[in-house]
Amino acid sequence: MEMRDLVLDGNAIGGLLHELFGTELTAAPCVCAGCGAREEMARLDVYVDCPGVVVRCRHCTNVMITIVQGRERSWVDLGGTRALEL
Amino acid sequence: VAGGKWETPRVRTLELDVPDWPGHVAGQHLDVRLTAEDGYQAERSYSVGSAPGELLAVTVERLEDGEVSPYLVDEAREGDAFEVRGPIGGYFVWEPDDPAPVLLVAGGSGVVPLMSMARARAREGSSTPMRLLFSSRTLEDVIYREELEALAGNGFEVVHTLTREQPPDWSGYGRRIDDDLLRDVAWPAADEPKVFVCGSTRFVDAGADGLVRLGYDPRWIRTERFGATG
Repeated sequence: MEMRDLVLDGNAIGGLLHELFGTELTAAPCVCAGCGAREEMARLDVYVDCPGVVVRCRHCTNVMITIVQGRERSWVDLGGTRALEL
Repeated sequence: VAGGKWETPRVRTLELDVPDWPGHVAGQHLDVRLTAEDGYQAERSYSVGSAPGELLAVTVERLEDGEVSPYLVDEAREGDAFEVRGPIGGYFVWEPDDPAPVLLVAGGSGVVPLMSMARARAREGSSTPMRLLFSSRTLEDVIYREELEALAGNGFEVVHTLTREQPPDWSGYGRRIDDDLLRDVAWPAADEPKVFVCGSTRFVDAGADGLVRLGYDPRWIRTERFGATG
């Protein structure tokens, strides 16, 4: 297996996002805080084989979202996302 | 688990009886969560293969060393129960009343959500032109082979390519998807088709990039990458 095989997309975290935010988000446009590109969540690069989940911009690779789940709580860093359209 | 059916030696369909299932749209998936006696949990996503309105079914490929798929493929018996979450997804979905021609591009078990679309089209009596380009390793690995043959016609076409081994009398393609093959099979860009590409990351990237080189607008192409862990 090569590194490239580990890159999924936003479809893969649709269930997790629904649990955290209470709504379907895979079709939600997201604006990258790094380069300004606007893409639906499903079109972002997602890495799940790390401690937590990392969502990167497919254009500039900026880390847009990280999600870490603990026993009783989840921690979501949206620092790399300028806007999320709902 | 309400029933099971082998599709290939590595792939099995499980029918699921889920109380309060709200129904799904073709292309959506669900998450399966297994919990061990010591509390350890493993969760994976599986596409729904059945059409909306049919008995809910997922089709699962056994991935060696996987935590969830070996149980679902080899062990799960009628009457077993596990947690599911879904339906999930609002992007990789197709509605049968959409009149645009549809190109489906599947690599291996990536055919599952696309099969839900083909079944939904047939079930709704839709006349939307739909073409499936399906890449498998060998003839034995072709998931839903007989049903796809039966569905063909009335505006639904199936084109197979076998990448590893082809039978002596094989009339389909015998190589990985490349630009020439896409040019043969894909609708002309002027038709502005809807495209759904599903498979491994490398398969999806190759298919989508090739279609863009043919003049397809990236906005027409919806992709879903399947993980290599199961």
